[in-house]
Amino acid sequence: MTLANVKLVLAREVRDQLRDRRTLFMIFVLPLLLYPILGMSFFQMAQFMREKPSRVLVVGVRELDRLPRLFENKQFDPGLFGSAEQWKLLEVTFAATEPRPGRLAPVDTREAAWHAVESGQYDAALFFPPDFAQRLDAFRDTLRERRSSLTDAADTGPVSVVDLAVPSPEIVYSTAVETSQIAYGRLAEALRSWTDRVGADNLAVGGLPATAARPFSLHSADVASETPRRGAARWSKILPMMLVLWAMTGAFYPAVDLCAGEKERGTLETLLCSPALRSEIVVGKLLTIILFSAATAILNLLSIGLTGAIVLSQFEGFGTPPLLAVAWLGVALLPVAALFSALCLALAAFARSTKEGQYYLMPLMLVTMPLCVLPMAPGVELNLGNSLIPITGVVLLLRSALEGQYWQAVQFAPPVIAVTLACCLLAIRWAVDQFNSEGVLFRESERFDVAAWLKRLVRDRQPTPTAAAAVACGVLILLARFFLGAALETPGEFGAFVRSVVVTQVIIIAAPALLLTLLLTSSPGRTLLLRRPATWWTIPAAALLALVLHPTMNVLQRVVVQLYPVSEKVKDALVPVERMFAEAPFWPLVLAIAVLPAVCEELTFRGFMLSGFLRAGAKWRAIAYTAVFFGLAHGVLQQSLIACLVGVVIGYIAVQSGSLLPAVVYHLLNNTFAVAGSRITPETLDQFRVLASMLTGTPDSGYTFHWQIVLAGGLAALLLLGWFARLPHLKSLDEELRDAMRRRLEEEERWKHSAA
Amino acid sequence: MIHVYQLAKHYDDVRLGRVVALSGISFDAVPGQIYGLLGPNGAGKTTTLRILSTLLKPTGGAASVNGYDVVDQATEVRREIGFMSASTAVYDRMTGWEMVEYFGRLHGIPDDELRERMEILFDRLKMNDTRDVLGAKMSTGMKQRVSIARAIVHDPPVLIFDEATAGLDVLVSRALLSTVAELRDHGKCILFSTHIMREAEKLCDRIAIVHRGHILAEGTLAELRNRHGEHDLEELFFRLITEHNATCSSPDCTAVPAA
Repeated sequence: MTLANVKLVLAREVRDQLRDRRTLFMIFVLPLLLYPILGMSFFQMAQFMREKPSRVLVVGVRELDRLPRLFENKQFDPGLFGSAEQWKLLEVTFAATEPRPGRLAPVDTREAAWHAVESGQYDAALFFPPDFAQRLDAFRDTLRERRSSLTDAADTGPVSVVDLAVPSPEIVYSTAVETSQIAYGRLAEALRSWTDRVGADNLAVGGLPATAARPFSLHSADVASETPRRGAARWSKILPMMLVLWAMTGAFYPAVDLCAGEKERGTLETLLCSPALRSEIVVGKLLTIILFSAATAILNLLSIGLTGAIVLSQFEGFGTPPLLAVAWLGVALLPVAALFSALCLALAAFARSTKEGQYYLMPLMLVTMPLCVLPMAPGVELNLGNSLIPITGVVLLLRSALEGQYWQAVQFAPPVIAVTLACCLLAIRWAVDQFNSEGVLFRESERFDVAAWLKRLVRDRQPTPTAAAAVACGVLILLARFFLGAALETPGEFGAFVRSVVVTQVIIIAAPALLLTLLLTSSPGRTLLLRRPATWWTIPAAALLALVLHPTMNVLQRVVVQLYPVSEKVKDALVPVERMFAEAPFWPLVLAIAVLPAVCEELTFRGFMLSGFLRAGAKWRAIAYTAVFFGLAHGVLQQSLIACLVGVVIGYIAVQSGSLLPAVVYHLLNNTFAVAGSRITPETLDQFRVLASMLTGTPDSGYTFHWQIVLAGGLAALLLLGWFARLPHLKSLDEELRDAMRRRLEEEERWKHSAA
Repeated sequence: MIHVYQLAKHYDDVRLGRVVALSGISFDAVPGQIYGLLGPNGAGKTTTLRILSTLLKPTGGAASVNGYDVVDQATEVRREIGFMSASTAVYDRMTGWEMVEYFGRLHGIPDDELRERMEILFDRLKMNDTRDVLGAKMSTGMKQRVSIARAIVHDPPVLIFDEATAGLDVLVSRALLSTVAELRDHGKCILFSTHIMREAEKLCDRIAIVHRGHILAEGTLAELRNRHGEHDLEELFFRLITEHNATCSSPDCTAVPAA
């Protein structure tokens, strides 16, 4: 790759984009106009926006005159409200206390209040039970009597609760209607003030000062109120999300124009037959997109900042975003822009036309938005677990930096940077792959005929499935797990648990793969790796590997749970399941948790799916893809991560041995050890002294292996994996062809040599 | 020169299954010669030329351009060729001058030399009127001239024209053909694909008649006429294709579905 060509491509693409009116509008004009216009319209709207008063029906109000004043001149007493504006927002109508002529039903019943709100005639209704005033009076009389008896120094004994009970007035409203909810809020506020007054009045009757119920009031002090950090905290919620969204939008449109657009206009072929390498073209285009993505984000943030300084500074707590915040955004911009640019480039390279390219914006948004919004959820903060989630980590890191929590930001910057960089590299790799794929570059619109396609799948069966079939199988399993899994009952007793395991393993996991094997492949034995391993030694080796890797897996499991702690709710839900496991007979449990999954999951993942992914050529990629699906099929995040790692190991064993048998053995023992580990009690340790010497911990906290055991096991595992690496591994057709060609060349060389 | 040996290309199609676009064609083209690939649409001409210009990879056989292998030495091959087809368009938002300059620079021509060469080229192809016109505003003739200039700005020894006259009016295509002839006279090795008999007759020194991924006949125009006893090229072409369709129904020799 030469820098000169990259620069040439970059310069051309930038000039090309700057000459495109649509791009210029999206990137330069829109942000400069959008926020000022939004701000202006906000001002305009605020001028005309009036809060609508709530219509309230008061039902059953009788003889309240001995109580503190609630109504005055057929409206609420203004003294109950903080301001005259608030008072004006409640319009009161009193229900007639006597039936009107011609109407039979009494009008001041609870039903009348209910009906008034339900019919939409009133936003809310305030209902006083018929004996409310009398009961309250009686209550006060009791207090008064008690006071006088106290002054007479005669003990009348405690007053019973029943004597003091007063029926509650009721606010009738509807949560289905927004105006009704607002009316409820206003009404409740007014009644709270009134209740306070009544309370104070009662205290006075009882001879106590009003401060007896509330001896002091609470004051608060905000340390951030006088510092710029207060403004920063508000901005820290908005700016990171804006940065991510605009970096994505800014990358998307140029990417579609530079790839799909060029394909459509026919200039991509012109460029591809020039001496520029594909990598030079990709990097040149990528840099252009990064540039525009960054420019869009910067201009939008600037515009938001300026508009914010003018408009939002009118509101308390907002102001110009602090300068330091801007600097932090600048630092984060480049990796974010690079990530989205590479993603958009790959997507756009795949699209045949601009129109098709634009269809991909929505899925990209749907994936990005939750990752952007997740940090806004209350309680989500920057920790190691969250920092490992792409985009979410960046947004959280930025938020921490903007809020001035620099130590936290510095602490978690390395994982965030590492994850972002890894995603970036993967996306770039994908983009380069797209540009190297004939199928993608010269894809022509073809009429898609489902029937013909299905017919062809069956007609042109190959010995092993395609990578696409492997993906289809994985997706099918995930969908089945999602839908059928929701329908399956949560097992409460062991019998039900076994039933649910059998359904999951046989119907959800094994059946799709076996069915697809029969339908789509001509050699089920080869597809499912049902053949002799490279050497029979692989079976004991796999068993030994499961044993020596167990301590490491145990440690990893603990690390994962620490990184992503299981929520209390899930923990509570797991308690009966754990109890059931503890009480279940050991061997049937092993059969359900170890034997059945080892067979079913291996047939599916290391059988059908691995064979499919191996067809595409690269061994490690095939192992990785299979492991990812294996992990996803486990459902619970903490379990998925570990399953993914285990999947890599088993995949490697299967590929190197060329058979499913060692994989099944490893899987079986791996699960058996997990079951056995959960069953360790002080008694077992007394019984097996060797085990006791390896473990540390208590029955409550769980047992872990001594670090020496973990280390020794890890080293032994490496040795065993090294032995597996020396086996002649499974080869795809392409690899076999390449090997044959190499052998042929070597033979020719030898022949020439001997002839000479 | 161009050397093509047993070149094959197949790909998978959803509806048709495995499609054999080229089933082992061989030919050679030498400098100072226009080698014509004559065939109906879907014969495999574009696939052959895309393989030679390294846009596609063959699935069998071998091909070399000026001694460079099209698979292993793709970059070197692209330096040796000028490729122009109906689907190699000009950039909408670039002027004629900028476009030719861009490709000249991608070929690594030093700035001074490039400017000098472009002045000569723009004069020779009478395209000074396209200098400051954006691609989007050019007429078809202007675009065609810019494409030629783009393809020959680095003075490649081998030129590949794929249906270059498709969609052009008589005047423009006539001008293009005369430019191609001129280039041959300058000693270039030219591969020219077309489905128009007149063009092949007028321009090509050797002709290969391609149909469904096979070369049905190959030679100079005179050789073809003598061998098949048919003076009219169109008649000859039609006869060969009809005969091929009639005699060859096995999956191996049809360009379409093969297991």
